[in-house]
Amino acid sequence: MDIDDILASVDRGPGASPESAALDHQQLTRFWVAERAVSEVLPWPAPLMERVMDRVRIQIETIEDLAASSADTITNTTHNPNLNLRLSILQTDLARTQYIIRSLLRARLAKLTKYSMHYLVQLASRNKNPLSTASQSQSQSQSSSANPNTTPEDSVPDISALVDTAPLSGPETSFVHAHQTLLAGHYGGSFLGAFPRQLRRLDDNAGGTSMVQGPETKEVVFVRCLGAEVPVLVDGEEGVEEVGVVMRMGDVWVVRWEGVRRAWERGEVELL
Amino acid sequence: MSYYDIDSILTDAQVKLDPSPEKLPCTFELEVPGLGILEGNPGEDIKAGTRIDLPLWLGEMLSIGARLGTSRLVTLDMPDALAERVMNALKADPRTVDLRALAPHFYTLSERILEIFEEEEMVDVLIDTFKKRAAEISDHAHNPRGAVGEGVDFLRGLDETERQLFRAAHDRAKEVRIWAGEAKKK
Amino acid sequence: MAFPLPRGITASEIAFLAEMETVTIVPRQRLEGLELLGGPVEPLIPPRRAALPLWLALLLKRQRRANIMPPPWLHPDSLSLILEVESQHQDYKSAFSPPPPLPGQPSIRDQGLEPTARPQYTLDGNRYYAAPPFLPQNTAQTVVSSRDPPALPYHWVEVGNMLLDVASDDLVDPDQIRRLLKDLREVRMAKMRSGIDVLDDAAIGGGGVALTGVGSMELGEERGFLAGVVDGLRKIGASKEQARREQLAEQRANGGYDGTQDEEEEDYMEF
Repeated sequence: MDIDDILASVDRGPGASPESAALDHQQLTRFWVAERAVSEVLPWPAPLMERVMDRVRIQIETIEDLAASSADTITNTTHNPNLNLRLSILQTDLARTQYIIRSLLRARLAKLTKYSMHYLVQLASRNKNPLSTASQSQSQSQSSSANPNTTPEDSVPDISALVDTAPLSGPETSFVHAHQTLLAGHYGGSFLGAFPRQLRRLDDNAGGTSMVQGPETKEVVFVRCLGAEVPVLVDGEEGVEEVGVVMRMGDVWVVRWEGVRRAWERGEVELL
Repeated sequence: MSYYDIDSILTDAQVKLDPSPEKLPCTFELEVPGLGILEGNPGEDIKAGTRIDLPLWLGEMLSIGARLGTSRLVTLDMPDALAERVMNALKADPRTVDLRALAPHFYTLSERILEIFEEEEMVDVLIDTFKKRAAEISDHAHNPRGAVGEGVDFLRGLDETERQLFRAAHDRAKEVRIWAGEAKKK
Repeated sequence: MAFPLPRGITASEIAFLAEMETVTIVPRQRLEGLELLGGPVEPLIPPRRAALPLWLALLLKRQRRANIMPPPWLHPDSLSLILEVESQHQDYKSAFSPPPPLPGQPSIRDQGLEPTARPQYTLDGNRYYAAPPFLPQNTAQTVVSSRDPPALPYHWVEVGNMLLDVASDDLVDPDQIRRLLKDLREVRMAKMRSGIDVLDDAAIGGGGVALTGVGSMELGEERGFLAGVVDGLRKIGASKEQARREQLAEQRANGGYDGTQDEEEEDYMEF
């Protein structure tokens, strides 16, 4: 590496070197494939996405500058015959990255709208603030049907005091809340409003079937084992130390998502 | 079963045929005043020992007491779609049975019934049936010319779960052929 | 509907992913180095070879600015050998031929050796193990590593197809390659389908079915179907799995559970 390159990368601070761009690009690509492969919304990788979006902004500026200089030298293209080639390469590279980001975000939004109540309930319960229990319990208890003005919107959990939005990003959290509020309002206006008060909720549990539906973590996924040995957990959720089959490095397996989610979080398996 | 799943709901409330092989045969153990409407006799009573085929959701609900052992309002029998002769036919050759005629949601119904009755052997027969028929479905789905001859009858006899399987296999195979330039986009 | 695409990346997205594979080119013109969002691209100085992402190599090739050096596996001799293993070899009657080893994974010829995972670290300090398309599985080999037998990389269908399409004049006997790729597809598809019989092993908690060696496009073609079958089997067997779990829990409570799951392990079969 040239000393100028080293100085340049130091100037831009850590994380701005071309090598780190490659590594981030690989992670973004892997995360996109993973998000497309599972039923649940994966934890939002905020620092990675911030770096990627910064680079996208810088790249757009670079392309605009190049395009401007290309327009300046339009009468004299022989001086820089590669300008248009460079421009088309940079634009293709940018379009490819933008495709991944867009597809990733849309895949997440699709899951969020499908399971909106599930994620809102999850966010609200994890962020229970002892100081604001009044509003929490009001929005969640079944006894709120005593209120004569019950509307479907009342079953939308209150997430105004949210500290931790995981697995969603901040904007996704606002989106899912706004989406569910609109949906509840629409239901109320179009048919639920005509129902008896106690039948207007959207988070009911009557008859043993919950109205709040979440992603099915027992569905299978396709994974590649990257660690030396990775055991598949029998039940990913309850902390039981039961172990099923053991995958070895380089293997590709069909397994339940809940059985490998922990290993995925550690980066020891890759979703395909 | 999940709240908004249309296939669960349809399995629950199958009313297309009457008597339907998907319905749950229930025998009332007690006399119930005024419930004759279930037999088509509104206002009348249901006598103890009456056998009526009820939709799954209703039969399941009425039988809860029986399963808890607290009371015996109704006892349940196996629906015709899962009768022993059907199981024997499936054991002989699962590919020749028209599941759709038995029940459009044959497997969804089976799953629900298996929650009520403990029938280990039936689980084994159904798993074997599902796998053998899935292999056949895969062959048809990958045939770019579509089903021909006997295949048409087999595919007509698929239940709803199997139809979705066929669609998944067919769509993905077609997508790859389009990418490879072997087929055209519609 | 916010997103109409099915779960799991589609055929065209799989091809898009395969275009991130690195290939070797011989440039026919100079080009200064570039800093792309996907990482740096080295300067092109003819006739020095350069390693580039496939999409960029294809872009240059289409404009006759470079020639692509085919990966060693995309050669009639290599493909014939792999086809022989796939169709004749006793060990691979129902399994796919072994894929190229990951970094730290012993070669197929050193089967006794233990793998040692070699992580890199991400900027956030997490472990990162590189995998296709970000491994040099499609570059022309400069050092002849004859120890490893030829193997089909994860993106073999896509890379093979795209190079035949755009760079057939850079390949040795492209017609023969095309025939061999087609034969390989068919032999391997048949294996995939004969594997439906063992899929119930993936339908139980802690179980799974190995598909090691499968290609990305092959997986893309079958994933909806395979996942659907396993899902169906799981639902049909749910009552039995529940009963088995209750039985195990009871045994464990009584101290009679010895912690092994031999029965399951024996059921396990590779495709």
